[in-house]
Amino acid sequence: MKPRILTQLFLYAAVLVTCAFLIFPIYWLVVTALSQPDQLRQLPPRFWPADPNWSVFSKILGERPIGLWLANSALAAFGAVTISMVVSVLAGYSLSRFRVRGGQSLGLFILTSKMLPATLLVIPLFGIFRMTGLIGSLWSIIFAHATLIIPFTTWMLKGYFDTIPRELEQAAMVDGCSPLGALFRVILPVSAPGLAATALYGFVLSWSDYAFARTFLTNAQNNWTANLGITTMKGEYISNWADISAASILIALPILAIYLFLERYLVGGLTAGSDK
Amino acid sequence: MAQSRFSLDLARPSRQHWLGYFLLAPAVILIAAIIIYPLVISVDLSFQNVGIARLDQPRRPFTTDNYARLFTSPDFWNACWVTLKLILVVTTACFALGLGTALLVNNRFKGRSIARLLVAMPWAVPEVIATVIFAWMFDSSFGLFNWLFITTGLADKPINWFSETGPAFAVVATTMVWKGYPFVSIMILAGLQSIPDDFYAAARVDGANAWQRLVNITLPSLRPVIGVTMILVMLWVFRDFSIIYVLTGGGPLKATQTLSIMTYEQAFSFFRMGYASAIGVVTLVICVIAAKLMMSRAPENL
Amino acid sequence: MMKHFTVRSLGSAAMAGVAAISLTLGASPALAQTKTLKFVSWQKDERGVGDWWASVIKAFEEKNPGVRIEWTKVERGAYADTMTTLFAGGKPPEIVHLASFEFQKFADQGWLEDLGPYIKSANLDLTDWAGQSACVWKGKTVCTMMLYFGNLFAWNEELLKKEGLSVPTNYAEYIAAARKLTKDTNGDNIPDQFGTGHETKGGGGQYLSELMNYTLDAGGRWTNDAGKVTINTPQMIEGLSRWKDVVKNSLTPRDLSAGEVRQMFADGRIAMKLDGPWLYPIIQKGKAKDQIKIGPVPFKPPMGGSSNILGMASEIPADAKKLVWDFIAIATSDTFQTSYATLANSTPPSPRAKTDAAKVTTPHFDMLVDMAKAASKAGVDRIPKGLELNYNEFAKMVMEESQRMIIQDLDPKTVAATMQQKAEAIQKQ
Repeated sequence: MKPRILTQLFLYAAVLVTCAFLIFPIYWLVVTALSQPDQLRQLPPRFWPADPNWSVFSKILGERPIGLWLANSALAAFGAVTISMVVSVLAGYSLSRFRVRGGQSLGLFILTSKMLPATLLVIPLFGIFRMTGLIGSLWSIIFAHATLIIPFTTWMLKGYFDTIPRELEQAAMVDGCSPLGALFRVILPVSAPGLAATALYGFVLSWSDYAFARTFLTNAQNNWTANLGITTMKGEYISNWADISAASILIALPILAIYLFLERYLVGGLTAGSDK
Repeated sequence: MAQSRFSLDLARPSRQHWLGYFLLAPAVILIAAIIIYPLVISVDLSFQNVGIARLDQPRRPFTTDNYARLFTSPDFWNACWVTLKLILVVTTACFALGLGTALLVNNRFKGRSIARLLVAMPWAVPEVIATVIFAWMFDSSFGLFNWLFITTGLADKPINWFSETGPAFAVVATTMVWKGYPFVSIMILAGLQSIPDDFYAAARVDGANAWQRLVNITLPSLRPVIGVTMILVMLWVFRDFSIIYVLTGGGPLKATQTLSIMTYEQAFSFFRMGYASAIGVVTLVICVIAAKLMMSRAPENL
Repeated sequence: MMKHFTVRSLGSAAMAGVAAISLTLGASPALAQTKTLKFVSWQKDERGVGDWWASVIKAFEEKNPGVRIEWTKVERGAYADTMTTLFAGGKPPEIVHLASFEFQKFADQGWLEDLGPYIKSANLDLTDWAGQSACVWKGKTVCTMMLYFGNLFAWNEELLKKEGLSVPTNYAEYIAAARKLTKDTNGDNIPDQFGTGHETKGGGGQYLSELMNYTLDAGGRWTNDAGKVTINTPQMIEGLSRWKDVVKNSLTPRDLSAGEVRQMFADGRIAMKLDGPWLYPIIQKGKAKDQIKIGPVPFKPPMGGSSNILGMASEIPADAKKLVWDFIAIATSDTFQTSYATLANSTPPSPRAKTDAAKVTTPHFDMLVDMAKAASKAGVDRIPKGLELNYNEFAKMVMEESQRMIIQDLDPKTVAATMQQKAEAIQKQ
């Protein structure tokens, strides 16, 4: 029994250390935000500010349109994820259930396009959006993000659908359900965790983008996404780590909240397609 | 209705059906418009001497100059080397840390769900914000790391993290590992949960110790997941733009200039889009070949 | 049941998202009915000059009801690249604000409108307008110069006194003081007080300006009056050695942006600083405000030159051009040139600006004028003659070779030879 307790203690210690290492940078971001700017340029560093400056958040919200940036990021992510999910659910289902001529090669192509560097795609897209006048519009990054998301979501969903027994739809169709009906009434409900994980994955991909936003949106202040906005805060004349950190926290919060909410779906959903 | 019921027998050996095509159509159309078409333009651009890509102008004469110049440019080979180094360092570290963390939180203990939530958290932090955090922690004058290194005696004077080549590479790699390895943990954790308990029970009956169980049961069962995950991490490092660009911009002395950064710099700093496209196309080809090589050892469904 | 619910809500959330997007995207043209002019600038959040721009915008919008100016900030480090992207993408800002060392490339592409006819019809007299000659590109006036400056020297009197130092009057005294003043004040082996401060990362243009403080005093020039590259000269080698000395020995904090360096100086962590007139408003808000004194630069000639220009995008509709000119006219008017001196604490380029009020708010104003004159007399400019078009590439090259000199501890002589060779190659392109 004794070694058992020792192992348990060791286990807890190891878990604590690991979590501490991973979370520390986030904690440090919070400490930086709450410090008075001149306290930051002092060594030894303070691990908790003597006088936490909570007003930094209201100050930064007043100075920068962070709400607008977040709304733009959300809009872009929502648009890109919606388009990608609609297309990918149908395509993933088709690739999983039907033997379609050319399906194999399409699948291969989608696989390859996962490897497309964004910095390559950004060049022709720049030309296309220039011609169509979409530079500066949120549509430009909605489409650009869809190019990142679709290859991933299609394959994740195909993998997920593969794990669902065919008998389910067959039973539904025997009961008089149309094939599309079977997809919507039977398959999709069962796939809710997979859909959630896939959508979350797409959401994170879109929310993380900087290359496309920087190239297409710089001139359109009202359409700046959160990531673009925050990099403009690194000024030449004044650079204030407390302000930038506070803004970073506000920008990371929504995605972290979504993550906390959907985390339980994530593990199962992400790997359903790959761990056969 | 009757007809569709007939042909929709999914159990039929050849499940060809118009519905299959119909469901695939939106994806095909969209992919053609926003991936294939731009890709074709890229390849086309890479064979022209183009400064700024304008589609409303006639194309320039065909030339292979961009590729010729590329392969003789020391900058290109340097970028290849930097990319390779970064992939090796980041992928290895992500694998080791990810596996360790996953094995750790796969144990039964109180607060396990919270621990799992925490260890995966950096995955959801946007890359640009990760760079804000690490740029400040690695600040050469007042950063936490320099203070830590000096007080613990690891360094005798402050390290200039962003103006020396080795340290700058280390900063980029550290940021990428912090941001990237939680994803590996999530994937391996899921893999661990799908290993049936009876395997372990049987091994225990046979008297296998913890190490033997790890080597003989856990790792072999995890192989497919690990393969896929490592390819994904590798691709991520290969294509990453924001972490490197915001932290170092590829410098100093091109010590952190990967192929991805070089492509962007040529296209949008020097406005040589033809040349930049050539770099991008070569990057893509390398990616595909590398992934194919790795996939022949991993399961086919990446 | 539960799962059904989840899918439905996912579905309806998706629908709501699509609706929201089409609403927002559809609504923007309707909002755009008031006319908007875009004005991109790196000086937006800057103390002093940023306030001045805001006052110009306000005056313009009052004069032109229904026209709004959308003022966007782009950070200096990414400015040239971003502006080129905007022009190349066919969406240039109507009002063009550029550094004086980067506009040439834009003018050469035909992206800047010839302001000649506008200046003529408005009877704007640009004789004796400081630095205006730089705005003539291939015979056309493509911009108006907004600032021609000379550097000032600021020092922290208290820190100098503590070390028993007097204010340096030449390079030898300056470097000796800088060495003495760079130290660790709290015993943790980490220097936390610096002799001087320069930006050593970021864009090539800024790097060059910092470096030139030293090469100019050593008598070195990038090119001669005929535009021939003259980096491989004893004077330039001496200048490069001085720069290496300062940076390699960390007499300046490393890896900081210009803004952070200025802030540190204003807060009393840096003892001496060579910088443009824009430093003053930053000092005024710093913690060490009362310890800092300002005087003439101990180097001869002082670093200085043309700073930034205002122009008009050429590929925009005629009615927009009229409005842009109106904006430029306000910015160059006597009233606003006068307020430039008080608000931005800098020397206005206009000979008609009244600087009496500025002399009250900015005690060292006469000295600023002297420094600008000294720089101008010595023909100092940030853009070397003969390298205007390739300045961006040239500056990046100089920065990289200087970094190599410091990182790999190379002999300045070899570095100068390499720079000479590379600069000649750039010039030949």
